[in-house]
Amino acid sequence: MMATASYSSGGAAESAAEERAKTEAVFTSIGDGAIATDEFGKITRINPAALKILGFKEKDVVGEWFPNIIVTLDDAGAPVSLIDRPITRAFLTGQTVSEKTYYRTKNGARLPVAVTVSPIIYNERPIGAIEVFRDVTVEYEIDRMKSEFISLASHQLRTPLSAIKTYTHMLMDGYMGDITPEQRRSLSTIIGASNRMNELISTLLNITRIESGSISVQPRMLSLKKLAEEAMKDLDHAATSRDITLTLAHSTSDCMVRTDSLIAKEIISNLASNAIKYTPDGGSVTLKLTNRAHSVVLGVQDTGLGIPKAAHAQIFTKFFRAPNVVKLETSGTGLGLYLVKGLADRLGGKVWFTSEEHKGSTFYISLPKDSNKIAANAAGLVVRKS
Amino acid sequence: MARTTESLYERVVQTTHIYLGPAADRFIDRQVQNHIHKEPSTLNEADLILLIDWIRVAVSLLTDDSEIVEEYILQLERLAHPKPIGKVHDGYSQL
Repeated sequence: MMATASYSSGGAAESAAEERAKTEAVFTSIGDGAIATDEFGKITRINPAALKILGFKEKDVVGEWFPNIIVTLDDAGAPVSLIDRPITRAFLTGQTVSEKTYYRTKNGARLPVAVTVSPIIYNERPIGAIEVFRDVTVEYEIDRMKSEFISLASHQLRTPLSAIKTYTHMLMDGYMGDITPEQRRSLSTIIGASNRMNELISTLLNITRIESGSISVQPRMLSLKKLAEEAMKDLDHAATSRDITLTLAHSTSDCMVRTDSLIAKEIISNLASNAIKYTPDGGSVTLKLTNRAHSVVLGVQDTGLGIPKAAHAQIFTKFFRAPNVVKLETSGTGLGLYLVKGLADRLGGKVWFTSEEHKGSTFYISLPKDSNKIAANAAGLVVRKS
Repeated sequence: MARTTESLYERVVQTTHIYLGPAADRFIDRQVQNHIHKEPSTLNEADLILLIDWIRVAVSLLTDDSEIVEEYILQLERLAHPKPIGKVHDGYSQL
């Protein structure tokens, strides 16, 4: 379709016509689908890309009520309620809404799309909306294959690791005859290395599950204080072997929360073991529980290396490691805090930190006392960390 | 019988409840907070006038029955303009 401009003697009219022509050209020629609606939710314009992606004809769409034509589906293929749709939320908030979701095409197929919806404001009044979307099937497929590969590879790696650990322990315990002290030290090294490899595989598997939404959350009332004590018990040897003081400061209450115990303990263990790892020998790591009206906050404070200010914004990014720790220790995956954030999100919690280089860091996790927030996040598949 | 001490906010929520059901107060709260940026309970007539357009577009995406939408909006306009505004809509009795 050619964009044309009508020329008139009035400068303003000519300018307006020119702008309309440009807008028309953009709307028609962009590769992403674009749909315009009026203030009554009726479709006023739809571009060729949108028609091609969804399989509709223009005459079947223009003038129709948007939710009747563009059906948004959830992960399970069920229609999303009207009030939760991106376009409704754009008008409820007055802001642009961007998200990935699914549309139902004309032939009934479920199509993954990345959608951005913006209200159209004129003279401070909303007069409609523009929704732009693109087909992200290829991206979804790549993500799915990546997750499947990591999951398969991780499971395949666990089997030989299990054999290594089993037989190494049998040797250590003398099942195959006496061993020398030197042999014992070598076997300890093997066990330590295989434990680290197992932790890495667990981390990779958990990340895959978070990203695929397949972690099941099973909330129950529990004492965060008791959970913190259990996590500290597991890390006691790691701390004492380096003369690091590991303590728990808490109020007299048990700090009860309704949450998933395995996931919450994983978060606490990750934060505490990070604190120990990056604290010099002789330092201290303190866990502190604070009871708030609607949540419980656990702080993990260390006297360690701290995080350079330039690295603060990326600390929860996948594979990111701050430059000062990379210099100190070249191994490490940069996945621990990414995992912590993902797990905290699943529990409806928040994670944040304060830190100063050379002085130490405090990481905080806040968990809600009620389960309504996490109930919405519960996924159907049950794949628990073993 | 309406309580004379009912605030405008309460009357708006009651009216909205007729059309949106139990989600009424959450719907109105979000509209006020996001578009007027104030505590919902402090809603006044001037705020409601500004809000009506936003409510119209949002509700228009919840139902394709334009008559119901306009009926609801008319009720809100009556709350925003306590005196008659001289507007007559087809199918409705005088204000």
